[in-house]
Amino acid sequence: MKYDKSVKSLLAVIAVAASLLLTACSASNETPNGTPPVSDTGTPKVSGTLNLGGSSAQTAAQTTWRAGFQDANAAANVNYDPVGSGAGRTGFADGAYAMAGTDDAFKISDIASSDFKLCVAGTGIVELPVYISPIAVAYNLPGVTNLNLDAATTAGIFAGAITKWNDPAIVALNAGTTLPELTITAVHRSDKSGTTGNFTDYLSDAAASVWTFGRSETWPESLGGEAAEKTQGMRQAIEAANGAIGYLDASQASGLGMARLMVRGNAVAPVAEAAAKALAGSQLEPGRDDADLVFDINRVPTDASAYPLIMVSYLVACQQYQDGTTAELVKAYVSHVVSREGQAAAAGDAGSVSLWEDAALQRRVGEAAASIR
Amino acid sequence: MRIARKRRIADRGFTIALACCGLLALIPLISVVWTTASRGLRRLDWDFFTQSMRGITGAGGGALHAITGTLLITFAATLIAVPIAIGTALWLVEYAAGSTSPVIRALARTVRAVIDVMAGIPSIVAGLFMYAVIAVTVGPGYRSGLAGAMALVIIMVPVVERSGEEVLARVPSELHEAALALGVPKWRMILKVVLPTALPGLVSTLLLGVSRIIGETAPLLLVAGFTDSMNYDLTDGRMVSLPVYVYSQWQNKGVDAAAYDDRAWTAALVLLAGVVLLHGLARLVVRRRNQTR
Repeated sequence: MKYDKSVKSLLAVIAVAASLLLTACSASNETPNGTPPVSDTGTPKVSGTLNLGGSSAQTAAQTTWRAGFQDANAAANVNYDPVGSGAGRTGFADGAYAMAGTDDAFKISDIASSDFKLCVAGTGIVELPVYISPIAVAYNLPGVTNLNLDAATTAGIFAGAITKWNDPAIVALNAGTTLPELTITAVHRSDKSGTTGNFTDYLSDAAASVWTFGRSETWPESLGGEAAEKTQGMRQAIEAANGAIGYLDASQASGLGMARLMVRGNAVAPVAEAAAKALAGSQLEPGRDDADLVFDINRVPTDASAYPLIMVSYLVACQQYQDGTTAELVKAYVSHVVSREGQAAAAGDAGSVSLWEDAALQRRVGEAAASIR
Repeated sequence: MRIARKRRIADRGFTIALACCGLLALIPLISVVWTTASRGLRRLDWDFFTQSMRGITGAGGGALHAITGTLLITFAATLIAVPIAIGTALWLVEYAAGSTSPVIRALARTVRAVIDVMAGIPSIVAGLFMYAVIAVTVGPGYRSGLAGAMALVIIMVPVVERSGEEVLARVPSELHEAALALGVPKWRMILKVVLPTALPGLVSTLLLGVSRIIGETAPLLLVAGFTDSMNYDLTDGRMVSLPVYVYSQWQNKGVDAAAYDDRAWTAALVLLAGVVLLHGLARLVVRRRNQTR
């Protein structure tokens, strides 16, 4: 019986320790509930949980937005699952996510044929271009700090026609840089990806004669190269291999070499200002609802300082939600995302372009956001 | 003489070969512990244990929400799984084993076979099963700590049942017979004689079961989800656990990726320490039992 006691006391100690730990702790960075119902800016506070999912490229920006929103609304929770654009759109249509983040907007035909579970039937959807960011063509070449590429050369590299770093086509664009006789490892995304979609869109628009595979969110099967999963996998694959080249959201490419793209004889780096200029030269797609703001990106800009390999990532919401509480939360969150502070915070953290750089676009997005019911 | 020498050499060679195998097995283990410890120490600070990730965009923050989540989910899973597992083990050992009825024996064989199969199920399948159950019954977006715990129950029951059965079978039959001879009903004999005798073994079984599920990622990722904030309510809202926290910190990096990496390593270190502690406890319990024998 002596032994029994020791086991029992051991269990008791564990139980007491666990319960103490659980009851005693509240996170020191969280404000307890019961704070006044109005935030500093005077807007009414909301409470509840909002689950969003989609584009992994939006991860950094969503983290920033969620942090800002949750700081202002202590009783509200927003979760973002970076499951990829395709899964995000499906989850939104199925009702798993209250909103989707996606690098590719719903097609007009898809909107008509889809049954969006959370929306009032027949009210349509709102698509807001909230995250506009350059995609970097990133490379790993020790000793080479500047690299210029044009659309045709990039297409040649990723299509497997250019296999060495000292290929004449690359050398011609990089006078004064010594390029090694090294095999190029072209890395692409193995999963269905909005980044791949935008990248192939750029190649097929700007180098149609070399890139004959069209625009696709999945990498053309007939092409070789190394495959990597999600943005982090891409980053790791480039870091790991000497002579590797790949494409990823510029916010996730810091520390890697980032190629400048030739636009009308000018080498343009993947920075926010250059991306903003490319957006300014693009039009909204016609034939959509007033609140369905989808861009048709011009990959061959007339402005020689515009960076054409950009991604416009959307936040998709119902025009009218069946559930009033969800609608209120969504509205509050979206208004934070498109606010001057929200856009500036994302620009600072994730290197995206603030909507507020373009007054006309900002007004349209603001109106569309306000129309959510 | 020569034969003896040959034998000695062969024996020595065999010993060395086996010792090398043992050392080889140690290499990855030491490497894992060393890497986790050296990288995890960077963020092993007060904030890590007192903060959640709510409102954190770059450096800073902690894993308090994940630690409480892990404790709650594991506790709930244990609470559900252990009675089922021990009950099944008791039935198999105390009732079915001695039964003459062919029906009961067939049933016992089936239960054993099913549990053997369950023990081999990859944890992701348990997660997908719960995911499917949830999608059909509640809706596709539902995530909660309890759902995660239910998925872990599927993994934990066979582990605890199998080793529980072994422990119960080792209770000396003299004790059974003595109790029954005194006219004690069977159910009382089980409660008052079998269970107390087997208790130390059952406790170490339980601890091993817990350390089996505490590091599970895939099922929790599917059905418990991840979130930044504290959540004490198992039934309502997403609940993050340490392994899922490690995964999400690594996979969903924001800007200043190094801060996310550091948190992931530290969380892995905390988890590793927890599992080592549980194993240590289990060993301690077993050793004490052997001493009292």
